[in-house]
Amino acid sequence: MRTRWLAGGAAIAVLAASGCGAGGGPPAGPQKQPAYLAEADTGLPEGGRLDLQIHVDSGAATGLDPQGADTATSWQLMSLVYETLVTVGSDFDPEPGLAEKWEQPSPTKYVFHLRDDVEFSNGRAMTADDVVGSMERLLDGSATWKGQLGPLKSVDKVDAGTVEFTLDRPYTPFLAALANVPAAVLPMKEVADGSVDPAKDMLGTGPFVMAKHRQDVSWRFDRNEHYWADGAPALDGIDISVAPQGSTRIAGLQDGSSGMAILDNVDAPQVLKGARDVEVGTQATTDFFYLMLNTKAAGSKFADKRVRSAVNIAMDRQLMADAGTGGLGSPTAVTPAGLPGACDPAELPAAKEDLDRARKLLEDAGAEDLSFKLAIYSTEPAPAIAQVVQQNLEKIGVTVDIQQLDEGSWADEVYGASPAKFDAALSWFAGYADPAMVGQWWNPESAGFNQGFMTPDPALDKAIDTAVSEPEGKGRAAALEKLCAAVDADAQMIPLVTRPLIVGYRKDAVSPSLYGTEGYGNALRLAADFRAAK
Amino acid sequence: MRFASWWIGRVASAAGTLLGVSVLIFAAVRFMPGGYAQIVLGPFATPGERAALAARYGLEDPLVVQYGRWIASVGRGDFGTSLLSKEPVAAELVQRLPVTAELAVLAAVAAVLVGVPLGVLTAVRSRDGGGAAAGRLASGLGVSVPEFVLGSLLVFVFSRYALGLTVGGYVPFAADPGANLRAMALPATVLAVAATTAVARTTRDAVMNVLTEQYVTAAVARGEPPWFIVRHHVLRNAAVPVVIVLTVITASLLGGALIVEYLFDLPGVGSYIVQAVGRRDYAVVQAGVLLAATVFILMNVIADFVVGVVDPRLGAAARNGGV
Repeated sequence: MRTRWLAGGAAIAVLAASGCGAGGGPPAGPQKQPAYLAEADTGLPEGGRLDLQIHVDSGAATGLDPQGADTATSWQLMSLVYETLVTVGSDFDPEPGLAEKWEQPSPTKYVFHLRDDVEFSNGRAMTADDVVGSMERLLDGSATWKGQLGPLKSVDKVDAGTVEFTLDRPYTPFLAALANVPAAVLPMKEVADGSVDPAKDMLGTGPFVMAKHRQDVSWRFDRNEHYWADGAPALDGIDISVAPQGSTRIAGLQDGSSGMAILDNVDAPQVLKGARDVEVGTQATTDFFYLMLNTKAAGSKFADKRVRSAVNIAMDRQLMADAGTGGLGSPTAVTPAGLPGACDPAELPAAKEDLDRARKLLEDAGAEDLSFKLAIYSTEPAPAIAQVVQQNLEKIGVTVDIQQLDEGSWADEVYGASPAKFDAALSWFAGYADPAMVGQWWNPESAGFNQGFMTPDPALDKAIDTAVSEPEGKGRAAALEKLCAAVDADAQMIPLVTRPLIVGYRKDAVSPSLYGTEGYGNALRLAADFRAAK
Repeated sequence: MRFASWWIGRVASAAGTLLGVSVLIFAAVRFMPGGYAQIVLGPFATPGERAALAARYGLEDPLVVQYGRWIASVGRGDFGTSLLSKEPVAAELVQRLPVTAELAVLAAVAAVLVGVPLGVLTAVRSRDGGGAAAGRLASGLGVSVPEFVLGSLLVFVFSRYALGLTVGGYVPFAADPGANLRAMALPATVLAVAATTAVARTTRDAVMNVLTEQYVTAAVARGEPPWFIVRHHVLRNAAVPVVIVLTVITASLLGGALIVEYLFDLPGVGSYIVQAVGRRDYAVVQAGVLLAATVFILMNVIADFVVGVVDPRLGAAARNGGV
């Protein structure tokens, strides 16, 4: 049975204590986050449904197949239906999921002991064959997440309740990578006989079953009557409507037409201040914004490392966190702020330099009058962060022309050609649950998506490989420091500030459980514990 | 014979217009920057995956071939498959059309119920200087305030003070009529303001025109009461331009009130098209715009028919090529 938490009154106290309530207040980065933003009141009766509004629907080319899900939104929705062998706790430690325990007999072997009471929502018991088949399907396919599972070589059934994973070489983030939705256990018997097509059907072991989905409009999830955890899910179901406009989601909370909403506007806590029965909290995430400098465009000034270093030195991450994210985000290095073992961004080499040094680098590179276009899309809070970038660079004499594009035009600028067309661009990464995971995207040869604008850096690649293979301990701490320094020196993709996830809910509608910090952008991770308040 | 040839001409003209629209929209979506592959597959897709997607939907074929294939499918009633949802576009349009239609009907009804009496009143009282100035100011504001400005204002105000209405949170009428109307009231109001202004102005001009006719002067001379003159002599003769403007307004609303649906998160045809444009979902954009054009043209044909019924002289003149 899943761990149960304190009564809901504590949730309000936690929100108030963290400064994350509707009142705004001083900057509250992940380091200040409590373990839980809210904890469901287990004194409330089971039953009832939740009306939830989200800003964007899952839209992967692979449809509803969890293995092809490559965005936080997809992970969030699919986590209601699918589960993984392990999950992550509030402190990012791996916790039992579909595996009740595991051991690591050698640096390259993991043995998982499966729960014996797990059934898919059609009533069929989950088997070791489902686990093996799911992982082999993932390894044989072209899913993005395969890259995050690292050097996974094989998955073998030991007996009916035991599965062994073998890696080619040590890979410390393995359990964290295994804890995300793309590594979920699928009903492989049904997939094999064709009765279930994961791209169109959702059949998992999770707390809910998908009853209905209309793309970009709504989802209906009902309770999975075969769910293995006693007393869970507490809700009868969740009705999700896709409401792209932040203003309507805020209005829905105020007028009571929705019980909970995921909000992307960093001003939402202020806007909802004083709203009756509405609670707003900021879930820190490990997701972070980064600045891309195109070194491959013909005649690009950014091909000169001195110019990139000057830009990096000028970045005032604290100002970005304060002004760009309304004090809800945190400065970060490539190891996402909020994760255990993450580097201190204030200790990065570039952060210790001053603006005179940046000006000197530009002068040495013959780029005193540097001006460039910064391509961004309109999703909050990217425009505000871009403005801070613009102001930062103005101080060293660099002129930035911000180009706010629709998603299609932005993607065309950044990914549409090789070499890519843009000068500089702003985007964000999901930060995941281990400090070395996201750093792997800094190797263009293995990441792929950035080959059009990023030049390989052998020193950086080596630092990435060391950071993911070094076991926990002092050696890993040193490896992470080296990774942060290498990314800082390379400065082709410059980490800036974390991306907060704002969650609003009505106290008279739901009592939720929410981690203080989330690695996979999944505010519904603990949805099985939510209680309806009416 | 003349009647039949007139109708054949109208249908041929409509078909030609639709064909032109189909070519324009087909070309327009393909010349937009940013392709389907970046949007649908995302940045991590391999060249092989991009090629497979293109092959599946025939997106690398010459544009002429793609157009021919699409228009032939449309002729068979197949509007294609959404690149994103993998579902038939026609099925989604059928689900969304009632939302748009309800919005259009609510706005049109409000425009008639408010706009026609207002137009008559301002025409009859046109010599009242203050009233006329106020009327001109109101109609000027109604026409010139953009939908997104008025809509944003209502979203802001009613988010704070709901007054029993909801911002967004659409519920189908069949599921809960009360909740449906509470959600539709604000977007319908935004659309109704401009429509009401147009109807009121048209009614006013038409009524003032009719009031100068000799038969009205004769009616006054006979001592008929004002309300009787308006009802029996003025309204019927002033109806033609009002019917035409109302038809045009309704037709444009039925094609999807893009901004209002998007602003209030209504799952209608308009928001479907807006989202599809953002995602370069070609089949959806093409089908949505073609549907809007079809509705618009159809409503204009209906307007011709209705005008002929309301004023047989105009109908006959049109069929004879006089109007």
